[in-house]
Amino acid sequence: MRTPPPADGAPAVQLDQVVKEFRSTTGPVRAVDGIDLTIGSGEIVAFLGPNGAGKTTALDMILGLTTPTSGTISVHGQAPRHAVAAGRVSAVLQTGGLLRDLTVAETVTLIASTYAEHAGIGSVIERAGLSELAGRKVSKCSGGEQQRLRFALALLPDPDLLILDEPTAGMDVTARRDFWETMRAEAASGRTIVFATHYLEEADSFAQRIVMVAGGRIVADGATEEIRTRATGRRVSVTFTPGTRAEALSRLETLDAVHAITPDGDRVHLRALDSDAVARAVLDLGGTDLLVTSGSLDDAFTTLTQGATR
Amino acid sequence: MNTTYLRIELARVGRDLVSMFFIAVMPAFFFIIFGASMEYGAYPIGNGNVSMHTMISMAAFGAVVATTGVGGMAAVERMQGWGRQLGLTPMSDGAYVRVKTTVAFTISLIPIGLVYLIGAFTGASAPGWVWAASAAIVMLGAAVFSLYGLIVGLLFRSESAVGAASGALVILAFLGNIFFPLSGVMLTIAKFTPLYGIIGLARYPLTDGALVATEGVGGSDPLWVLLANSLTWTVIFAVGAVLLVRRGRGRQ
Repeated sequence: MRTPPPADGAPAVQLDQVVKEFRSTTGPVRAVDGIDLTIGSGEIVAFLGPNGAGKTTALDMILGLTTPTSGTISVHGQAPRHAVAAGRVSAVLQTGGLLRDLTVAETVTLIASTYAEHAGIGSVIERAGLSELAGRKVSKCSGGEQQRLRFALALLPDPDLLILDEPTAGMDVTARRDFWETMRAEAASGRTIVFATHYLEEADSFAQRIVMVAGGRIVADGATEEIRTRATGRRVSVTFTPGTRAEALSRLETLDAVHAITPDGDRVHLRALDSDAVARAVLDLGGTDLLVTSGSLDDAFTTLTQGATR
Repeated sequence: MNTTYLRIELARVGRDLVSMFFIAVMPAFFFIIFGASMEYGAYPIGNGNVSMHTMISMAAFGAVVATTGVGGMAAVERMQGWGRQLGLTPMSDGAYVRVKTTVAFTISLIPIGLVYLIGAFTGASAPGWVWAASAAIVMLGAAVFSLYGLIVGLLFRSESAVGAASGALVILAFLGNIFFPLSGVMLTIAKFTPLYGIIGLARYPLTDGALVATEGVGGSDPLWVLLANSLTWTVIFAVGAVLLVRRGRGRQ
């Protein structure tokens, strides 16, 4: 269906000591704080991180929409702007970015006109599942339909590297599933796909590799399986009486099953993969008001960030 | 020039009926009630008649409303994310500016063409070169106001602000001596407002600078006053636009 990327040997994306600072009223803010990253041709990589982790800023730099404060970035061996102009990289950006008073077909025609060569207006409309909506005004399209339109626009240059920034934000469950279904077909044709998300499930079901970002840094980078084990787990909360507290804490610290201990007034929060074992131990130590909850992704990030900086 | 982009842009503006009302219908209507239907329209002035004078004024008003809208919407759409979408394409900023400038010129031709057409059928009279020269000056002068629209769009980042900027043109048009002949202190103040120079220059081929007053001819403007006004405001708008574009590039 599509020609494979030229065998130029260069990785799809290479970031070398990339830093991005923004000026703010309280002084410079480091959105990206020294990222080194290499993504090979054909990889499917998730950028996973909470809001404000620096995902969008990092992707913007890869796309040449902003330039790094320091460090270098290359896309297929070229400067980002050149790679964009050559149609080798394309993206589905977060919300915004469409003209509401155009129709779907007009929008695709408009963006297609900026390329010397493109994949065909009818072809991308069909692949993005928009054939029925071609004549509809963008303002009358749902969030999911607008996202499919952005996806159609991203397919126009037939890019080797496709970047998706929170592609399913604002979609309902069905639209989300359909979107990833379409994306699988594109991945199968050999494109490199890099997407940012804060949904662990999305990264888990679609990516081969997860790069976890927090505080502008990479806190974990590895195969999806490996990251999942580290990021999941449960939170065990319990109250100890002042008399038993000190001894209980010192005992818990020796347990392998406990990954992190966070005292909080009378209560103590513990993170653990094997929450049953920890719960048993806590009760044996005289803990009361036991509460076991599945850890939120934010908790997992906190753990991973602390692990990375310790 | 990317003609596909240009064609779709022109279709967008043409479909916007509210804008079209202010750009085309309102100046034509103003001309008919203030100019064509008035008996003083046939009074001679300079190289032509009063109806010609009113016709140039109303065409200029329609043209600046048109270019302000185009400039303002360009700023707003870029900041609402379209700039990022275009940033993912090979299209350069220069190519985008060329398309938008062509759109502004083309749209400004609608009120000019319509008002001049009505003028031709209702007794506006002047030598042919006055028609051509005044229309050309209106077009060039109106182009400056796309920068005014751009500035408001960049500053306030909303479609309603651009609408308000177009509305403010009515006040600037009064101060620009477009709707009603000013005199005394008001006239002195008016000479420093942004529409005054452009409209004076557009009428210059007709009037050689003579001013119309409610009781006949009321003084005249030397050419340098009109040029100084136009150039000063062009520089102010251009510098303001450049500064705001730079500021906006940091993060959108």
